[in-house]
Amino acid sequence: MKNQIRQIFHSPKFTVGFIIFAALLVLTVFYPLIVTNDPLEMVGQGNFFKPGTYISVSEAVNTNPYTLNLNASSSRLEQNLSMEERMAMADWLNQFAGLSSKEMDVTDAGELVSLWKDHYDSASEQKGLIAARKKYFSRLDKKITGLLEDRDVLLAEKNQETGEVSVKKTIPSTSYVNVKDVGSRRVFILGTDNFGRDVLTELVAAIKTSLKIGFIAGLIATTIGLSLGLVAGYLGGVIDDFILFITNLFTVIPSFILLILISYSIGKNARGVMMVAIIIGLTSWTWTTRSVRSQVISLRNRDHVNLSKLSGHSLFRIILTDILPYIASYVVMALILQISSGILAEAQLSMIGLGPATTTVSTLGLMMNWAMSYSAHLNGDWWAYFPVIISIALISFSLNLMNTGLDQIFNPQLRE
Amino acid sequence: MGKTMLEVDHLKTKYITRFGENVFAVDGISLKIEEGKSLGIAGESGCGKSTLALSLMGYYFAPLHYQSGTIKVDGVDITGMKPDEIRKKILGNEIAYIPQAAMNALNPTQKIISFIEDVIRAHDPGASKKEIYDLARERFEILGLPESVLKKHAVELSGGMRQRTVIAISTILSPKVLIADEPSSALDVTSQKMVIKMLRNLMEKGFIKSMIFITHELPLLYNVTDEIMVMYAGQIVEHATAKEMVFDPLHPYSKGLMGSILVPEKGARDAKLTAIPGTPPNLKNPPKGCRFADRCRYAKPACMLHPIAESRLDDGRMYRCYLEEKELREVYQDE
Amino acid sequence: MGYKKYYTNKIIWYLITLVIAVVLNFILPRLMPGDPVSAIAARAVDGMTDSTAIQAVYEDYAEKFGVNLPMSTQFLIFIKNALRGDFGVSFSQYPRTVGNIIASSVWWTVCLQLPAILLGWILGNVLGAVSAYKKGIFDKGILPVFLFMSNVPAFGMATVLLYVFSLKLGLAPSSGGYGFDLIPSASITFFRSVLAHYQLPFWSVVLITVGGQAIGMRSMSIYELNADYVKYSRFMGIKDRKIVGYVFRNAMLPQITGLAMSIGTMIGGALVAEIIFSYPGLGTTLLAAVKGRDYPLISACTLIITIMVLLANLFVELIYGVIDPRIKAAQQD
Repeated sequence: MKNQIRQIFHSPKFTVGFIIFAALLVLTVFYPLIVTNDPLEMVGQGNFFKPGTYISVSEAVNTNPYTLNLNASSSRLEQNLSMEERMAMADWLNQFAGLSSKEMDVTDAGELVSLWKDHYDSASEQKGLIAARKKYFSRLDKKITGLLEDRDVLLAEKNQETGEVSVKKTIPSTSYVNVKDVGSRRVFILGTDNFGRDVLTELVAAIKTSLKIGFIAGLIATTIGLSLGLVAGYLGGVIDDFILFITNLFTVIPSFILLILISYSIGKNARGVMMVAIIIGLTSWTWTTRSVRSQVISLRNRDHVNLSKLSGHSLFRIILTDILPYIASYVVMALILQISSGILAEAQLSMIGLGPATTTVSTLGLMMNWAMSYSAHLNGDWWAYFPVIISIALISFSLNLMNTGLDQIFNPQLRE
Repeated sequence: MGKTMLEVDHLKTKYITRFGENVFAVDGISLKIEEGKSLGIAGESGCGKSTLALSLMGYYFAPLHYQSGTIKVDGVDITGMKPDEIRKKILGNEIAYIPQAAMNALNPTQKIISFIEDVIRAHDPGASKKEIYDLARERFEILGLPESVLKKHAVELSGGMRQRTVIAISTILSPKVLIADEPSSALDVTSQKMVIKMLRNLMEKGFIKSMIFITHELPLLYNVTDEIMVMYAGQIVEHATAKEMVFDPLHPYSKGLMGSILVPEKGARDAKLTAIPGTPPNLKNPPKGCRFADRCRYAKPACMLHPIAESRLDDGRMYRCYLEEKELREVYQDE
Repeated sequence: MGYKKYYTNKIIWYLITLVIAVVLNFILPRLMPGDPVSAIAARAVDGMTDSTAIQAVYEDYAEKFGVNLPMSTQFLIFIKNALRGDFGVSFSQYPRTVGNIIASSVWWTVCLQLPAILLGWILGNVLGAVSAYKKGIFDKGILPVFLFMSNVPAFGMATVLLYVFSLKLGLAPSSGGYGFDLIPSASITFFRSVLAHYQLPFWSVVLITVGGQAIGMRSMSIYELNADYVKYSRFMGIKDRKIVGYVFRNAMLPQITGLAMSIGTMIGGALVAEIIFSYPGLGTTLLAAVKGRDYPLISACTLIITIMVLLANLFVELIYGVIDPRIKAAQQD
């Protein structure tokens, strides 16, 4: 046994898979100890805030300013001129100032703006442009002028009694705050989702739930598959024919369809995380049954099994001591694959709206479902769904690597 | 004396393991077969006899590599030929091969006639379908195989039928040398006899000019071949006529090999049924002296010291032992 | 004659499977506690505001299902209606019939998934064969990349492609089966639009299919390359190229049954990928049905998908019987 474990860890594939999987497990265990926020707390008011550090604006203006002699206008230009606006500017310059597109670089806002300032004239004829478009350009010009100016910002205060507004503070453009001075801030490493929840915290909780679903589904599927496979393979005859028939039947009828039908039938109220896991387990045992059955058939006439039969050992004992140890590796491999397909099944089920009906926990599938429902994928809010996909892919990849590693150890023919 | 069909001189080939070690499974073997003659090679599994079969064809691919020596087929040395030349001119054409477990040697999903077409066209690309079919049908008829086999897939044939089909395909181009590697092991006695009858038939009809028959059952060769060589740890330990080898083995290993199998032949029946204890040496690091010494009942300390040279009796019989013929006969007498 | 038996057996077997699938489709939703029709109808009404529509649905349902009839009679009615392609009226898209909705979406799915799965399967087999035979970059570089991709779920690959090729590079449209400003017609503009919308869903299915098929083909090829017939053919002087032909043909055969076995799983994944692109196929229809609690539509979708998978499987198995002589041989025993 010890030797076998050592052998398993000599397989680089298994080891890499194991490390990735263990890292994910460790993350789900230790992250909640460090970040104790409720993973489903709706912090943000609004959908899909970008990843980054959020600091309180009112605190920021009230902290001690530092004066830095930096030219802020160029970074302001980069930040505030959208690509669309830059393209429009380049278009105008090309059409009415005769500049070739080679001379212009839309990725360099400063350069583009200086060309713009040199050539643009709102009073010029601009032949072929409709009035609305002319106005657009003059608005754009005003915006640019505003961005270039380093104007002070005045902070006003309303007198509670008189209702008069008076200038409290003047903030020059050279004034900066140190983020460390601002007490009220929150870091959203992966931004927020459609409900304003912290995606990272939610994701870690979701990985945990999804792994749980995978484990439960895998255990159920493996238990059913193992029992049916053992019975069919060992007893043979009519029982084998019957089990094989049922197995073939459920291999051909897509399990995803059964999953949909059952999930829908049991109704929303009954469909908790546990129930979804059980349903997935109940619909995905066919592969295990097949492989266990064929293994048992090849085993049942071996000498040691026959010897056991002749010695009058009970069926239970023969299966436990003479058969199970020989197929243990296959069963473990089947379990690993079942876990991975269980997680995927939950995700797919949730995507069509039949996942766990719960508001107390999140799963990878539910996160994906919400992100899609709120069109995160069409608006480019990548942080709401890419991390989910990467998590699913990593879990599945690590489990498959472990499986391949084990397969190579127990089926030497596959080794090079 | 007939024409020499195959002459091998000090052939050495090796396996290169994954760790770069050299294993000389064929370690300086010489042999010669004349037209119309057959030679048996016997030895335990792992003695290098199958490797010898592969090496004789001069067509090497990893992990087997050629080291030194010559192989002359009908007077032409093939060791210097390019692989593709050997493939086209020699394999299947001049030297044919019947592999171990021949019943599995056919592609299960190909029709027999289609494989025969591939074999013949590999040597004669212009051969027409009809020519090939006629040739195959004629040959199958002579060998007593039904014509219907040609149109079947290998999976549709029984084990014995597959075996005989492989033999028919291997010899379809009337090779000068046929190398049969354990063609009859793994078969029941009836099929074994059928295979041997078929090989004899092929020799008599002149479809093969000479034959090398490899087996681990030394006594089996008595009925089949003219001469017998006994191989041990990559070397020949004894070479004699079939009669001499079966009734009067000289080398202690040959004697052990004869004794280890009970055969219903007169003369051999009196021999004691004794398996040879121990296992063959590791060829990665062969013993310096006699390779059989540590399993030999008659070994003396001197056996272990130096490599043993071949000794020849007056009639050309060869054996490789530290002891003289006289000494050997004496120790055998004492038992 | 061996073939005839094989075909008859297969077809009978699939007919039995079909019957059981239909029974499951009928019985599973009726297993929930309470009066099934009122529960179904109550859910249907939940999302609707138009009172005439509610009434119509109720009546239609009561008639279709024969509310108070025994289960067996209800089943017969279900079968009779299903055979005529009559699955009732949709709750969520009233007054469209379910048959009409299915008819307009099923071909989108068939035309998207069938070619995608086939191409993925072919590319996978080629890659697997090449990496078994040539090793090197194929085995150590390209295959692992595709293997990693095969772990990305179909909908995941869909969002990645959508983000890169549609949002960032603007090379392909992001959703729908054709331009939203077009009406389906036989014009070139429409065809072009369909083709442009086809790309991303198509490739997301292809890309995730390749890896799994390739690894299977690779191990089959390695197994076949070590088979006795390879050595024998070599020593009979047959060219390596020809032998490789034997090997890949033989390695490919089990892959065909592998395709039949996994077609159900693949379609499940690909249906969800459709949702990402709002592709007008069965996947998107199914999502809409679930959201609208449209029971008749869900039932019809699952039934039609099951039938599609069964047909595909039967087709693959029948073809397999012709090209693998081992099947014929097995029938003769």
